[in-house]
Amino acid sequence: MQTASLAFRNLFRNTRRTVLTVMLIGFSLTALIAFDGVMRGMITLMVENITGTLTGEAQIHRADYRENLDVDLYIDNANEIEEQLQQDTSLQAYAPRVITGAMISSSYNVSAGLVYGVDAELEQGISKISDAVASGEYLSGDDSELLIGISMAELLEVGLGDRIVLTLSEVDNGELAQALFRVSGIIEFGVRELDESFAFINIASARQVLGMSEQQTHEFALNFVTPLDMENTSNALLEELNSGEIEALNWLDLNPDISLVLELSSYSSLMIGAVLFLLASLGVINSMFMSIYERIYEFGVIKAIGTRPQDIRKLILFEAFFIALISCGLGIILGVAIGAYTSTNGISFGGELEFSGIAFNNAILSEFHIIQFTQFPVYVVLLTVIAAIYPALFAARIIPSEALQRSL
Amino acid sequence: MSAVISTTDLCRFFGDEDETLVKAVDHVSIEIERGEFTAIVGPSGSGKTTLLHLIGGLDNPTSGSVDLSGTNIAEMTGTALSDFRRDHIGFIFQAYNLIPVFSAEENIEYIMLLQGVDPAERKHRVSEMLAQVGLEGLGDRRPNKLSGGQQQRVAIARAMVSHPEIILADEPTANLDSKTGIALLDLMKELNEKHNMTFVFSTHDEKIMRRASRLIHMMDGMIELDERK
Repeated sequence: MQTASLAFRNLFRNTRRTVLTVMLIGFSLTALIAFDGVMRGMITLMVENITGTLTGEAQIHRADYRENLDVDLYIDNANEIEEQLQQDTSLQAYAPRVITGAMISSSYNVSAGLVYGVDAELEQGISKISDAVASGEYLSGDDSELLIGISMAELLEVGLGDRIVLTLSEVDNGELAQALFRVSGIIEFGVRELDESFAFINIASARQVLGMSEQQTHEFALNFVTPLDMENTSNALLEELNSGEIEALNWLDLNPDISLVLELSSYSSLMIGAVLFLLASLGVINSMFMSIYERIYEFGVIKAIGTRPQDIRKLILFEAFFIALISCGLGIILGVAIGAYTSTNGISFGGELEFSGIAFNNAILSEFHIIQFTQFPVYVVLLTVIAAIYPALFAARIIPSEALQRSL
Repeated sequence: MSAVISTTDLCRFFGDEDETLVKAVDHVSIEIERGEFTAIVGPSGSGKTTLLHLIGGLDNPTSGSVDLSGTNIAEMTGTALSDFRRDHIGFIFQAYNLIPVFSAEENIEYIMLLQGVDPAERKHRVSEMLAQVGLEGLGDRRPNKLSGGQQQRVAIARAMVSHPEIILADEPTANLDSKTGIALLDLMKELNEKHNMTFVFSTHDEKIMRRASRLIHMMDGMIELDERK
């Protein structure tokens, strides 16, 4: 107890050095808390953008369909699956889609693109197509309606009401088919790929052009009541639907590249934390050694009068422990302040940003969890005390006669 | 009388076996008996402090032995040596003897905490020692609020509070004016007579030397003269 008391009082012998050390460790903790908050917010935003823009939280296809989007690989018993989806209480929304590659032509230009036939009403529970309409109207069910990406509209030099001809291959027989549409809306997702190459028509029109029946579809996009996020990726429905012919995959399995990016992002806090606390640890070691050299005569005296080496070690470790505790107090207070601001006001990029095909149209709202204010400080205390082990061993090995020879 | 301190062929050399070799203590054999008030005297560099450090187990001899009450401390290391110093030897140094963040009382109490003395006994002994060194009412002051003489009195109290057999003092009056230094020596002498503790101190101040009952003169690491009064 006396050692702890002595250690605590020693912190105030050179207040400036203690304050600087506390600031170094405290600010490192604040930076880690803030960075982790931003990363969590960014991951949430990425997941929301991935799942909310078009993909959904999960999709159902014929096996092998995703490899080259072969229109012939459609789900033949779509009505049976749809009935199952309607009865499943874990689902919040689903939407069937018919998808085909097509030549998209205007009077002035032509472009290759991907045409989605969607159910105008059900699709609103899955994607942001209706929100992305920059001009014109969302689909109402009319056969000739077509929504086109803003970049493609510029390429094809078309505006609202202009004619678009889709040229595509019918399913099963591969016969070329053409259909005339009119631009009813121009959409802007903020994702280059979607804005350049995607067009959306009503699903009934798509089935008609492709020669598909109402029981046939290429894809079901799903959203769940409990969202499938980074931590929660498994679902009983998906497991049940997965069979030899049908594959039901969550958004992480659908986007393996993005999954890797997200996984790396989730490790970034660990890496930043390691770098920050390596530097802070060096600061602690330096500070502790300065403190020991300053008091070397005193260590000689207290060793001379019978203080055991282990008590000297304990003294230095207690000093580091108290510095870490005070630093954590500072770090947590600043972390809460920064967290309160950035989780409310967000961090804006000053415009639209696209990263790995994911659009960041909104400001990132930092996310703060209890772990940042409990686990991180525990790591800080542990690392600070570990950093003090070497100075503590040095102090414990001081030879009294040599220490007492130092100039007073 | 029995010898409390006994050194035999005690040597402490620094440097290598060439021209840089310094013989700080060179084959010193002395016996100091219980209750003696001994001064080790000599000019700077004569080996006084090194001899005191060897006797106190603060340094390891190159060769020879140091027996304190029949225990050869030259063979002790680490915790055992720390515990031996704590229980058998009291130290007083030139200056900066005290832990600056502790009050006078806490400085005196510190060694008893290391010994595990119970709180009531500690309090009693601290009050008793403060009274004996004439610092009643100043126990709550930190060292920076005490004069040099008062600080050395606290150091004496700390050295004696654990009732060691031997008190070693390395030039305890070096940083004091002569009047305060003499007063301090008179206090040490008084406590020596009252408690029959063995005091060994180093000095090169002639006024201080006169108060010692035995003078061991050192020169170039060797005993030049050993005189008892």
